[in-house]
Amino acid sequence: MRRLLAGLAAVVLAGSLTACGSDGDQGSTTEGGVDKVKVGIIPILDVAPIYLGQKQGFFASRKIELTLEAGQGGAAIVPGVVSDQFQFGFSNLTSLMIAQTKNIPIKAVAAGVASTGEAGKDFGAVVVNAASPIKTAKDLAGKKISVNTLKNIGDTVTRESVRKAGGDPATLNFVEMPFPNMPAALADGQVDAAWVVEPQLSTIKAAGGREVASTFVDAAPNLTVAAYFTSTKLLESNPDLVGRFTEAVNESLTYADSHPDEVRAVLADYTKIDEKLRSSLVLPKWPVQINEASVQTLSDLGSKDGIFTGAPDLEKLLP
Amino acid sequence: MTTARRDGPVRFGHPALLGVAGPAGLLLVMELAPRLGLIDDRFLPPASRVLAALATEAGTAAFWTALGDTMLAWALGLAIAAGAGVLAGVVIGSVPVLRALTASTVEFLRPIPSVALIPLAVLLYGTDLGSTLMLVCYAAFWQVLVQVLYGVADVDPVAFETARSFRFSAWARIRYVLWPTALPYVFTGVRLAASVALVLAITAELVIGSPGLGREIAVAQASDAVPTMYALIVVTGVLGVLINLLARTGERRLLAWHQSVRGEVTV
Repeated sequence: MRRLLAGLAAVVLAGSLTACGSDGDQGSTTEGGVDKVKVGIIPILDVAPIYLGQKQGFFASRKIELTLEAGQGGAAIVPGVVSDQFQFGFSNLTSLMIAQTKNIPIKAVAAGVASTGEAGKDFGAVVVNAASPIKTAKDLAGKKISVNTLKNIGDTVTRESVRKAGGDPATLNFVEMPFPNMPAALADGQVDAAWVVEPQLSTIKAAGGREVASTFVDAAPNLTVAAYFTSTKLLESNPDLVGRFTEAVNESLTYADSHPDEVRAVLADYTKIDEKLRSSLVLPKWPVQINEASVQTLSDLGSKDGIFTGAPDLEKLLP
Repeated sequence: MTTARRDGPVRFGHPALLGVAGPAGLLLVMELAPRLGLIDDRFLPPASRVLAALATEAGTAAFWTALGDTMLAWALGLAIAAGAGVLAGVVIGSVPVLRALTASTVEFLRPIPSVALIPLAVLLYGTDLGSTLMLVCYAAFWQVLVQVLYGVADVDPVAFETARSFRFSAWARIRYVLWPTALPYVFTGVRLAASVALVLAITAELVIGSPGLGREIAVAQASDAVPTMYALIVVTGVLGVLINLLARTGERRLLAWHQSVRGEVTV
């Protein structure tokens, strides 16, 4: 009897440890020539073209059944792509270069989002309170500035803005916090300035905030901020699928760039940005070409700030 | 809740009335604090605006899908955890060697916060229901297991030995002696696990971005839709109250015969 119970117990214990949770389903199974593709994205303004392209059938017409996985953490996207949970991902170029210097096998396959290139009219900027003594980027020296991720694109481009304005970028004191917390932190005086993107940028400006640096514009002309990427494994095993995906994304980018009203409308589908904010926020640019010179600049700036373990190999990373 | 002890403190008004007065007072404070300028209404909008946002949300299909996803994750996770917890508890509890063998392991694993397992969950199950389930199961399982272990330990040894001397089979001993004794503990464990499961379901959705109310909260936050965000948080609170009510009612109905329930007066 006792032996039977002990055996049962072993089975139950083993079972209870594995029973919790169902199987994670994998994409990329071909069914009647249609490829199921999962794309890891962040549900922000930047990825509006892919939602729009999905709606317009740019992916379906290329036999791609698209699932957009809007996980919150952008940090999960690169591991997700490498482990084949997502076939493609969306990430900013600094993060991609960090991954590349760590020899993570990924490659950019299409442009993601780019700066408008116009100071004061871009989708990302450093802002301060209306009453702040900070007037220009140079005044940021020695101040506390919030960025969404430390040692990433936010602090790199902010340092460059300060450098170009003649300030000492080494004195900047960056703190990490999620974008949605920044309006309150700024209003409350927890930080002196905030590096934000839309929609928080518009929210802060509407509350009287003042822009002191158009960081993407200062960093490089027409900076490519982010890109869609895949694993080198998928690129080798199914170059045809990758090619079709790139074409579909490119068509989506072009469509989005020329139909801003539809972009603002599609935001209602995957974000909860209210109508007023949707109609007023600054849209980025969605060029098809990755601006390689700007990525090189971003790489140089990152190296200068010491956020890479070695120099990024853009030959390997960019398409 | 709606039960009170016979010799409790002096009662003011009907308990149900007081139960309603609590949230009403909270709503009033939430309405007045921003209106009086105590808090910036950009960051805590008045209750009326939150409720208006809730009404708008309730009119969208996405809200109900998210609510369904959260409830599914909660129910599935709780069911798996309760089933596994009861089975493991009864088996471990009735075999002293196993109990001694697992005691330190259980105490080691139990306090590990489920949230710390998020990277593992994402690696194993991606950003789908699976990863929510893993966190929910992990957290809820220990609540049930530990209660069942206590329940099994509470079995009267004389009753157990009597059953043995009457040549009750092992199954009959579990069914007629062990199970009735352990049942109130099982219910306590499941009731605790029900709340924990909800907290973990929302947390997983919020952090991982798996489908459900938690993800909607995160999206509302990222979209600067502050009233909508609070509206969704209110929904999770209401869910918690409903789940607790359900668990308590179920416990009272199913354990009506047990001393622990008979001893209470239902108002």
